[in-house]
Amino acid sequence: MNPIDDQINRLFRAAQNAPSPDVAPPPFGLETRVLAAWRGAAEAPATFWDSAVLTRGLILAGIIMAVSILPALNSSSVSTSSIVGDEVTSADTSVDADAYP
Amino acid sequence: MKDGSPLMTDEQVTECLARAREGDEKAVLDIFNYMYPHVAKLVQANLPVRESAEDLIQQVCVKVVTHLDQFSGKVPLLHWVSRIAVNTCLNQIRHEKRRPEVRLADLSEDEAAVVEHLAHSPSELNASDQVASRELVDKLLDGLKPQDRLLMRLMYLEGRQLEDIAGITGWNKAMIKVRVFRARAQLRKRYSLLMKESP
Repeated sequence: MNPIDDQINRLFRAAQNAPSPDVAPPPFGLETRVLAAWRGAAEAPATFWDSAVLTRGLILAGIIMAVSILPALNSSSVSTSSIVGDEVTSADTSVDADAYP
Repeated sequence: MKDGSPLMTDEQVTECLARAREGDEKAVLDIFNYMYPHVAKLVQANLPVRESAEDLIQQVCVKVVTHLDQFSGKVPLLHWVSRIAVNTCLNQIRHEKRRPEVRLADLSEDEAAVVEHLAHSPSELNASDQVASRELVDKLLDGLKPQDRLLMRLMYLEGRQLEDIAGITGWNKAMIKVRVFRARAQLRKRYSLLMKESP
């Protein structure tokens, strides 16, 4: 084995056996702060519900808007096509009249 | 239990979790007391230089108790808690600069004696050198990337198995092996520099 590796292994073995520092009891107030955060998070679903209702409301409003705009769009497109149709028809008539007097 | 957590069977933990999810404050408190020693130990071992251990421990504990509904139960609770603690610490130390190489002049008298013993004697170090050895290892590991430092600690100082480390970190075994190999090479380089200075 590489002498450096051997030395590192011996160093690790000694370090592994060193007494690990004791874990101190939780500092004063930590328990309370953690519980407070948990309570806060437990109350959060109400806010979530509010936002969910708001989102649903917005989606519903969007659908209603789309449904109400659709007939207007349809009618405008129909009238446009009919105007274009009339123009084409009258142009055809005038071409026919010129070609076949 | 090895890390000083209050003894709780798997059934007790499961029951506690169920009660906590239903809003039982006492159950949350039991979980806090169960995980606290484990979290404290992990945070202290991976503490960023400027961070206070108490703040980080609180961050981890809050994350755990506020996300209990996301714990699937596929791994032991303490493994899940470990992953949260490890990721929280790693996020904090991600941008921390690595320390330059360790010089002999930076070592205490006891640490220098350990280096001398290792260089000139093939025997194991004495029990009285264990604390100095630990401090020397800490100084050598400080030069590694945070993830590598964590792996080296878990593997060589805590003597954990690969499966255990994968459970704690959530990383796959192949990645852990590669990281440990590279970290070991880095450590060898740092240690060699120290040895060159040794009389």
